[in-house]
Order: sequence, then structure tokens, then C-alpha cells
Amino acid sequence: MSTTTIEARRGHSLKRRLLAGMAAAFLLLLLLISLLLWNYAKAASNRTYDLLLAGAALSVLERVSYNSRGPTVDLPQSAMDILALAPDDRVVYRVFSPSYGELTGTPELPKPKDLKPSVDPVFYDAKLDEGFRFVYQGRQITSTNGREWVFVQVGQTLNARKSQRDTLFLYGMAGLGGVSLIGLAFVWLAIRTALAPLRAIAETLHARTPRDLSPIEGDPPLEISDLFRAINSFIAQLGRSRALTESFIADVAHQTRTSLSALQGQLELAADAKEPERMRDRVGRAERQAERTVQLTNQLLANAMVIHRSDETHLEPMDLRRLVRDTLAELLRERRLRNVVISLEEANLPSGSAPIRGDAISIREALRNLIDNAVRHGGPDNSILIELDADAETVWLAVSDAGPGIAPADRARAIERFTSINRKTAGSGLGLAIVRSVAEGHGARLELGDSALGGLRATIAFPRLLTCILLSFLMMLPAAPSSARDLVIHAATDPGAIQPLVDAFEAQNPGWNVIYREYQTVDLYQEVLNGKPGAPADVVISSAMDLQVDLVNRGLARKLWIPDTLLPPGWARWRSELFGFTWEPAAIIYDKRVLSEKDLPTSHPDLVAFIRKNEAKLRGKIGGYDLRRSGIGYLFATQDTIQSVQAQRLTEVLGRAGARSYCCTSEMLDGIASGELSMALNVIGSYALKRGPDAANDNIGVHFLEDYNLVMSRTALVPKTAPEPEMAEKFVTFLLSVDGQAIIAEKTPLIPLHPERGGLIAQGDLPLSGNPSFLPIRLGPGLLTFLDKIKRDAFLHSWISSFGDDGYNP
Amino acid sequence: MRMLLVEDNDELAETILDRLRSEGHSVDREINGDEANDLLRFSSFDIVLLDINLPGRSGYEVLRSMRSRGDATPVIVLTARSEIDDRVVGLDAGADDYMIKPFDFRELSARCRVLARRRAGASSNTFSAGNFRFDRAAKQAHVDGRQLELRAREVQLLEIMIDNLGRMLTKEEVADKLYTFDETPSLNAVEQLVTRLRRKLEGAQLIIKTARGLGYIAYVNDDD
Repeated sequence: MSTTTIEARRGHSLKRRLLAGMAAAFLLLLLLISLLLWNYAKAASNRTYDLLLAGAALSVLERVSYNSRGPTVDLPQSAMDILALAPDDRVVYRVFSPSYGELTGTPELPKPKDLKPSVDPVFYDAKLDEGFRFVYQGRQITSTNGREWVFVQVGQTLNARKSQRDTLFLYGMAGLGGVSLIGLAFVWLAIRTALAPLRAIAETLHARTPRDLSPIEGDPPLEISDLFRAINSFIAQLGRSRALTESFIADVAHQTRTSLSALQGQLELAADAKEPERMRDRVGRAERQAERTVQLTNQLLANAMVIHRSDETHLEPMDLRRLVRDTLAELLRERRLRNVVISLEEANLPSGSAPIRGDAISIREALRNLIDNAVRHGGPDNSILIELDADAETVWLAVSDAGPGIAPADRARAIERFTSINRKTAGSGLGLAIVRSVAEGHGARLELGDSALGGLRATIAFPRLLTCILLSFLMMLPAAPSSARDLVIHAATDPGAIQPLVDAFEAQNPGWNVIYREYQTVDLYQEVLNGKPGAPADVVISSAMDLQVDLVNRGLARKLWIPDTLLPPGWARWRSELFGFTWEPAAIIYDKRVLSEKDLPTSHPDLVAFIRKNEAKLRGKIGGYDLRRSGIGYLFATQDTIQSVQAQRLTEVLGRAGARSYCCTSEMLDGIASGELSMALNVIGSYALKRGPDAANDNIGVHFLEDYNLVMSRTALVPKTAPEPEMAEKFVTFLLSVDGQAIIAEKTPLIPLHPERGGLIAQGDLPLSGNPSFLPIRLGPGLLTFLDKIKRDAFLHSWISSFGDDGYNP
Repeated sequence: MRMLLVEDNDELAETILDRLRSEGHSVDREINGDEANDLLRFSSFDIVLLDINLPGRSGYEVLRSMRSRGDATPVIVLTARSEIDDRVVGLDAGADDYMIKPFDFRELSARCRVLARRRAGASSNTFSAGNFRFDRAAKQAHVDGRQLELRAREVQLLEIMIDNLGRMLTKEEVADKLYTFDETPSLNAVEQLVTRLRRKLEGAQLIIKTARGLGYIAYVNDDD
């Protein structure tokens, strides 16, 4: 049965090998084609995405104008929106004029080679911290000095291009792969046909009985005549090996039967004996014969066992010294060893151990046999010396006795099965054969020599196991000290809002200590940007989404691997580097003692009219963010200008009504509670919604508009300079986890990003999330527009002109 | 001595029974592991000879349940499985000794005597072996009725060797048992002490054998 399967497998593997050869050829061909395809895919994806760059550059150039101080540019939101069509790519831009120098953007971007001023776009690749693709385009504008060149450079990282290129390439390759498979199928058929003669041989062999070891006859085709001869020579070898096995079995049968016959004979003689004296004598002999038979049987079994165990699988790293000591301690209890002087010599063993790869059961059997031999042949005043020694490569185990020894000429024969040199002290003739089998199974040598005691010295030389020493050395090394490690979090968020999260995280990660530092959004941004030395943060958390996007766009954040199930929705993450974890709508808060809910405006245009109408009543009592100091205030204000044409008018109206500016939501809440303010705009609603119910807070109302309400998400990123990036990633994962979101819902004034995980917050009948008037701010390059220096200066300028230079209220 | 033999092969059991009874022991025999287990619950023996391959529960299980009951009766395991690491399995399960079939009956009797003596030495004040007698309470040893002059350390060493009769002790183990915490155990001192004691025990049937590089083993030379 087993021979059948072996034959079948052999046929398969041949075919597969031929097929593999053909497949390799196809693969080479595919490789050549794939090179061409790769270049094509690269060019095609570049063409596609170069259009985005060109579009963005054109829309920027269009907004270049000339005023009294020289050329300037009002960066259009559309430029960033066009670039955001490649959603995961970082963006850089630069506007400059040869006569006036840098206007805005990142200075000193790499220029194309052989630059000539031109109105045509020039595309080129350049490397910043990673690969970028650039467009370079100029425009001449008319100034008082004549025609001036203004140039725009826009660059984008290659993520979208690469993924488009890969998609094109993979589709192409899939098609080619399919064609190749069909080709291979034909090859397969051809091989089958060609190999038919081999199958014929296989069938001949199949049909044979196991006893038939005669050579195969036939007239093989030219190509397989070698194989044919090899099979026949193998059959011949098999026959010889079987003859050897048969002779061993015959030997065993002979030895056992002889021994048993002798025993039977002695017992029969004893049974027939007339005198008790003779009978006792016969029984005594029978007993000794029985002992010899037992010894023979034991050794035959040991021999079979040792051969059976002599494959690699039983070997494992072990200390030969321990095994030898244990085996000797056990043997010493036997009565036959009481009158023998036994000693173990191992003082020269380096490092006190003898590491080898060995099978304890086989080696114990070998040692027992060596000691048995030493006892048997050692003579009356016997002493046995066991030596254990090692150098860098070898471990020696030697057993010496004080008997007559074996003459050098007889030593080779002594190792053979069923041979005993001295007939008087002969045992089964298997002892040294067993020892040799054990040595062979361990890759060791058995050597016979003269012992210092006068008799035989049998030595087994094992290869020494070096890795074993290394292993024990490693295990002796003290475990790494488990002192607490620090995770540093820098955040623009109240400590009260973060502390419950930090506590829970520390509880989940014993041995870690979270160090938390609070910042204003702009200061935090500056610190990460300038890479303040000495205090690198592991996690940076901020509510200013635009500033966080800018940090990521500058390549300062690390890619994180957050499990798919925990990922926030698309608007709240960017490039796998920036993750939002809260859902925080901008709201209007008001003093219920002064204003009533039903009078409040319902839309942004209404809001302008409402303030204008109640200007006298609200004079000096409206609060808003100081846009110069508050990142979140600036974010809400600029997003308002994108959403609503009324935004500019609102600023003017607020200025006229003497509105006051604040650094943070909490100050505005305090202002309302104390009656200093009647109303505050674009306040982070969650703080107000979740402020505890006490007398002062009962006066604070929270109001949402019906046309739209901006929603901000607090975001976390891990800087590339983080000293503990793995733990930092774990912390961000924790913020997004079910546990983290639940803690945000229950124990902090923030609202979790996943309402279904943290419990829905409702304001009256209005469920906050899921309501279409709530408009999340999307993370991405779109947020970079208002960080443009010229754009920002212009925006703040118009704000200051409404609120006054001292609009800041301490 | 009262012994229990648990062995399912009738021929082997018969020879063992004959041998042990002829030496004057009273021996019960059980065939089945379950029944042996029940018997051991209610009767006490001086030595149990336990086969491993038994109908009912195996010898190891019988042994384990004995030890888990707190039954410390000496047990010699009889097994035909030489290639399994019986020593580890058997002694870990709580056996005091083991023998691989086919065994020498004289060896079996000798091992039984060693176990019995070790047990008796630990539980009673007098240990005697042939012409040798040791009185634990009086700390006195006699050979052929003649009292030996022993120093305190030598008496201590003698006690240690008797407690570990038939068991090999390394020099370090002897030093550990011999010296208290604050004394510096010297291996040379142990060697000298053993030599002195052996000289004093000359002619006694209690013999302390030295295997150089290995350790010491005490045995009683009356076993033939």
C-alpha cells in the first residue's frame, strides 16, 4: 500500500518540475512586459494628477494682483480643494516674484532645471523629506515698473499617483497573468503527453508484488533510458539491503533459539536427574542460562529501540553531565556494583556543564552498556573510571576498566553485532554495537583504546552544542528592570477633560506613567513645529484642526495602525496620521436671564439682523474668541467665511456692538454665569452642554442654528520624534476604543465621536449627531488655505479693524 | 513484614509470592487496580509492589491516589517498559523505587529490605542490620555488641547515611545536611569525616561506599 503512494507521488513531482521550468520562462516574459507596463502606468497616473497641480496653480495665479506695495495673492480655497481630490497627499506651495522676493508659502522650494520664465506649466519631481511632484508656472502682471513676473510652485506628495499607478499596473498584470495561465495549461497538456512512457513504467512497477526485485525489462525511449537504468540499480540495492536485514533476523533468531534451547536442555536434564546433587547443579546452570537469555533479549530490544530512535527528531539540547551523574547514581544501587571501585572524573569540564544535542534515553542505554561491559570484563579487583571532558567543539564521555582490554587488531571486530572477543566473559555480543548505534545517531564517534587502569577505554565523542551555552547564559541574565516608563502627552485641552482618560489608560497599562502638559493651541503648534529640544511629546492633542493638519502636511507625524473597527469616519482622519476622537459642535451660549430661547435667531443671516436690532441691549455684552490667540476661534471664524457670505458682515456688526474677545470657552461661560456677558458666539458647545447643574449654570442656555452648525473634532497625532511611539499609538487607539469613548461620554465634558459607543447627547428634542445641520469640518489640505500668511494677515486685519487693536479682554 | 503485591500475570505473581513468603513475609496479592486501590484505603502494609499495566486503573493512578490520601507506605513499581523514562514518571508520581522486568529476585528482596530498614530507621529509635545496631536516642552504635566511640559529628553523619540507606548522596548534599547555616561547610572536612567513620565501622555489616567524583552510598551487607 505504502509503495503505491510513493510511486504516485514521484510521477506528480516530475510533471510539476517540468511545469515549474515552463512557468519560470513565462515569469521571465511577464517580468519584461511588466517593466513596460510599469512605465506606462507611471506616466498615465502622472498625467492624471498633473492636471490637479496645474488646476491649483492656475487658480492661484488668477488671484495674483498688484497693489501699492507690490504683487500680492489672495489664496483661493478652491486651490486647496482641487488638491484635496488626492485625499491623502501632503501639499506645499510657494508664490514669489524675482523682483519682490517671496510672497507667501514655503520659501526656497526646489526649482526645475533649465528654468526659463514661461506662462506654460513645467512639471518635475523633487525630493523634500519624501518624494514630491511639482508644477512651476509664471504670469506677468503689469506694475508701475512695467511687466513683472510672478511665479507659483505647487507640490504634492505621490500617494494618489502611486496608488493609481499600482491599480493600473495590477489590472494590466492580472490580464497578463490570466493569459499566462492559459499558456501554462497547454504546456501541462503537452507534458502529460510527453510523459506517457514514464507512466507505463510506473504501471509496471505498480503491478509488481513486493517480493519481486528483478530488474524491469523493456525498451525505454531514448530520453528516459537513464532513469530506467537508475530504477534498476535501485532495485538491485534494495535487494542487497533486504538480504542484510534478512540475515540480521536470521542471526537474531539463531541467537535467541540457541539460548532458549540451552535453557530448555538444562531444565530437561535437571528434570531427569536421579540424584538431588546433580539436579541442583543442573538447575544452577539453567538459572545462569536464563540470566544470559534475559540479557540477550534485553539487549536485542535495546538495539532495536536505539536504532528506531536514531533519527534527528529525538535530539534536544541537554547537559550530558547531569545525565551521566543521574545514571551512575542509579546504577550504584545495584548489588553487582558493590565490590567495584567506581569514580567519576569531570574536574576538567569547563563551566561545569557538557551541553550537547542528545536523546537522554539512548545515551543512558549506551552508558549502561559500557558500564555492563566494564563490570563483565573487568576481572576480580575491578575499578571503573568514567571521564567527562570537553573543549570548544567536542564533549567526551569515556569509560575505562581494569580488565584485560581488547587487542588493537580485534577492536574493529568487537563493535560488530554478535561478536565477543573473550569467550569466557562473553555477553550477548550486542553491547558495543548498541553503543555504536547511539553514537551514530548523535553524529558522535565511538573509539576504543587502552585505559590507564590497564583495560579497555571506550570513548564517545559528541559534537558540543554551542548555542546551548548561549542559551543558559541568556537565562542567567537578570530580567530587565521593571521601572515605570513615561508617556508624555502635550495637549490643548483642559486637564479635567483628559484626566479620566489618562487614569483609565494608566490602569490598563501597569508600569506606565502618563505625564500631561497643557498648552494653548498656537503655543503647542509652535512647539511641535520648532521641535523644542529636551521635551519631545509622544502624543499631541489639539482642538485646532487646521494647525494639526499643517503639522501632518509638513511630514512631522508618524503613521499609526489603528484597527479598522475603531477608525473614525472619513472626515475625522487624514493620512493615517491624524485622528479625531471627539464630536464638538460650535454653539451660541446666552444668559437665560437676559435673552429667551424663542427670540434667538435661527440662522446665520438672522444672527446679523438680531445683533443689529438688539445693539443697545447687547452692547459690550457679546463674547467671542480672540482670533489671534485661539486656534479654535480662528478655525471656526474662517470656516464660517467659507460657509456663509454673511460672515464678514457679522464681524462688522460685532465690532459695532462692542463685542469682547476671550481666550477660551471656559472664560466665556464664566462671563455668562456672572452676568458680565449676555451672549457668546462659536463656543465649544460640549463644555456648555455638560457643565454640571448648579445655580450659576442654570442661567446658561445653549443654542444651535438651523442653517448650519460647525462641528470640530479634537485630534491626536504622534510626532516622528516621539520617544515611545508604540505606547503613543496604543494611547491613540485607546482614545478611539469603546472604553475610551465611553469614558469621554461619561467622565469628561467632551462628546465622543461615536455616539453609539458613548451614548447620545440630546439638547431638548434635538439629537445632536445625525442632524443634517451639523456640519463636521473635514481634515485635509482644505484647512491649509487660511494658514497662508497673506491670507491670515488679511483675515486678522479685518477682524482687528472691527474689534479694535485692544479687542482682547484680559 | 506485611506486603501487598499488585500484579496481573499469574505466573510472575506466583514466583514473587513464593520467594517473599519463603523469606517469612506475609504477602497479599491483588490483580485489579481498582480493587488494589480499595484495599489500600482500609488496610495498611509495610511495602507495596505495584505493577503498572493493570486491569482497572493503572499502577500510576493507584500510586497517585495513595499519595494524595497522605499514605506514605513505601512503593516499588514493577514495569516492563524500559524505554520510557520510568524513573522520572514513577518517582515523580511518588514511588520509592522501581524495577524493570525481568528482574533478579534477589535484587527485589534486597530493595524491599532497604526500604523496610529506611522506614523502620526513621520511625523507631533503633536501627539494626546484621551485626550492626544504632540507637538514635542514646546516640550509640554497636558492632557485634561492642560499642563504637563516635564523636558528635560522626553520629550525625551516621544518622544521615541511615536515613538515606541505598540512596546515593553527593558530597555537597552531605555537607548541606551536616552543617548549619553559620558554619562554613568544607568538602574536605566531609571527606575526612567519612573516612574516619568508615574506619570505625570496619567489620560492620553497614557499609559506606565512596564513589569518587560522585558521592557516598550506604548499604547493608547481609543480602546474600
